[in-house]
Amino acid sequence: MNRAADGAPPCQRLPAGGLAKMSGARRKFPRRIEALEEVFAFLQDFAAEHGFGERTFYAINLVVEELFTNMVRHNIGGGDHIILGLDHDDEQVHLELVDLDVEPFDPATVADVAVDGGIDSRRPGGLGVYLVKKLVDDVAYDYDAAERRMRISVKKSLEQ
Amino acid sequence: MFSISQNADGVVALTGRFDASQVDTAREVLDGITSSCTLDFSGLAYIASAGLGVLFAAQKRLVDSGQGLTLANLNPHIREIFHIAGFEHIFEIR
Repeated sequence: MNRAADGAPPCQRLPAGGLAKMSGARRKFPRRIEALEEVFAFLQDFAAEHGFGERTFYAINLVVEELFTNMVRHNIGGGDHIILGLDHDDEQVHLELVDLDVEPFDPATVADVAVDGGIDSRRPGGLGVYLVKKLVDDVAYDYDAAERRMRISVKKSLEQ
Repeated sequence: MFSISQNADGVVALTGRFDASQVDTAREVLDGITSSCTLDFSGLAYIASAGLGVLFAAQKRLVDSGQGLTLANLNPHIREIFHIAGFEHIFEIR
């Protein structure tokens, strides 16, 4: 499986299932940037309950913020809520964001940011998805056209 | 909770969590900076791409006029994010 140190992994198709299989926590959040405070509180409670380290906690905060804000900003016409699911096993934390009544948007289609140049060579856009891909082990994407449902699933190694 | 303010010495202190909901707050202060100064991150716990974008815009404006921002006292997690984003090429960090 791709690790962050090996470079950005491609997004992969998810198998059928998803949240229904998760035994962890899940919650709906209003589709607005101001809901981030509630999202972070949800992450804090889950991380504290399961003893995540600081580095893992920082990473999942950032990953969820990037994916959540992308859904708020780009999935115009989407439903009122975004669903966030959390789970983990002995090695990884599993994050899942579900957006309803939206057009398909696969984060893998976002070009990687060129990060080696100076300030004049940088172009706006794409940094959030780039950070997500660098911080996690797997990003998987699924779109159900019949239900107009987008699901992004992420696995992130727990720090040892 | 996020806050940003410039003290009498000109140092801009950022504290708390700089997430996407705090962009306007940060931009208000950073837009008022017209010469080189230091941003003190010692109280900053968290930043993501929205915050990086605000910092980049401020730095771009200042560099274009021969000025620039220096970032100080980044915690290890924020420093890692700056490294991944390549922002070590854009800011002086100490």
